[in-house]
Amino acid sequence: MRTPFVWMVGCLIGLGSMPAAVASGWNMPVGVTDLSREIHSLHMIIFWICVIIGVVVFGVMFYSLFKFRRSRGAEAANFHENTTVEVLWTAIPLLILVGMAVPATATLKKMYDASDAELDVMIIGQQWRWRYEYLGEEVAFNSSMSTPRAQIRGEESRDEHYLLEVDNPLVLPINRKVRFLMTSDDVIHSWWVPDFAVKQDTIPGFVNENWVRINEPGIYRGQCAELCGMDHGFMPIVVHAMEEEDFEVWLAERREEAEQEAMGVDREWALDELMERGETVYASICASCHQAEGQGAAPAFPALAGNQRLIDDADWHLNTILNGVSGTAMPAFRSTLNPVELAAVTTWTRNAWGNDTGDAIQPAAVVEKLANQ
Amino acid sequence: MWGVIKSVLAAFFGVQKEQQRREDFKQGRPMAFIVVGLVMGLIFVVGVAALAISVAR
Ligand code: HEC
Ligand SMILES: [Cu+2]
Repeated sequence: MRTPFVWMVGCLIGLGSMPAAVASGWNMPVGVTDLSREIHSLHMIIFWICVIIGVVVFGVMFYSLFKFRRSRGAEAANFHENTTVEVLWTAIPLLILVGMAVPATATLKKMYDASDAELDVMIIGQQWRWRYEYLGEEVAFNSSMSTPRAQIRGEESRDEHYLLEVDNPLVLPINRKVRFLMTSDDVIHSWWVPDFAVKQDTIPGFVNENWVRINEPGIYRGQCAELCGMDHGFMPIVVHAMEEEDFEVWLAERREEAEQEAMGVDREWALDELMERGETVYASICASCHQAEGQGAAPAFPALAGNQRLIDDADWHLNTILNGVSGTAMPAFRSTLNPVELAAVTTWTRNAWGNDTGDAIQPAAVVEKLANQ
Repeated sequence: MWGVIKSVLAAFFGVQKEQQRREDFKQGRPMAFIVVGLVMGLIFVVGVAALAISVAR
């Protein structure tokens, strides 16, 4: 073993196993937008540059260690400076860095250019769900995780998209530039969908911009990527990307629904109807804090089941839901739920789990209250 | 003056000849190097900013 042959063989084995690691799912995905592809290829180019540098530097180092070992009678050279070598080892990395920075900056410029979008979607982070508002379309909804708590507690077996499934996915058209306006109602969250190469913080009081133009229809999943409290792991993102015609149909249906809902405000609702609706709203919005059976989670979240103040004081109860309790985790729901949902969830919490007040809070009453505040 | 600029440039780059370093330290006046260093630092920052702005256009 007198030659650098061993090192070369070692390096080749190392290099040969790289594509396997790349294809194994540990690497970042190629994604489904032009930009995500570009980011992926940048990532791979820079990765290979690093690999080559690593192989050359460590190859030379190990070869020298081996070739000039003391047992072979090597003598250490003793010199102080060598300007040529120093200039070389400063200039070469400089050129490599600039060489990588040029294409990276070009891509970064594209990422920041959210102009000329054909659709604007407001994305709002909330503890612990996402809210999507299609600006100018009168369509808005909340998107909560739909994995049952029993699966999380290990009482049921997990299904395929465990923790990565929601009740209302974000629906987007393909082949259209969609601009995201991103903010938060409470703490910092981060909207992250790897297949779009989008990971953007949502910050209370700021509106960040980002955009996508999706090439392929499909279902894309992501997560909140900024530690945001107890249920940080339970606010996944699901995006349903559709053909443009399908999207238009979906949007029209949603608009229709919103209109129906708005008309529903004026009529008298039966207790049963309100209860049915309220149960769904409670499960998707309130249960993460006040728990499925309204038992709360002491000391952080008060119980609603058997809560005497709630039972006695319907006015305070509704007010708390509309305006939240400032300085605590209890959010104001006046703008994230519509009047029907507000009335229904109030009715549900006044009657479920043995609270049995018999009160049916009418959407019209909620509208009146909102108008007077 | 040209010598001072050359030494400051060498410091920016991070490599200097030992012989030149000795020469510089013989002068015993650090002020020239400090002033030239600050001015060239400013020129560098403004240059990078100008480049970034022109590319971002
Ligand atoms: C992010 C967690 C969270 C969510 C989601 C949440 N709450 Fe609360 N809620 C709280 C906390 C914390 C309090 C206690 C506030 C305080 O300290 O006064 C509270 C208090 C209340 C109270 C007053 C109870 C009392 O005894 O003080 C009611 C009623 C209530 N919430 C109803 C709801 C309803 C209905 C929903 C769903 C629409 C909901 N909450 C969603 C955290 C939450
Ligand atoms: Cu979050």
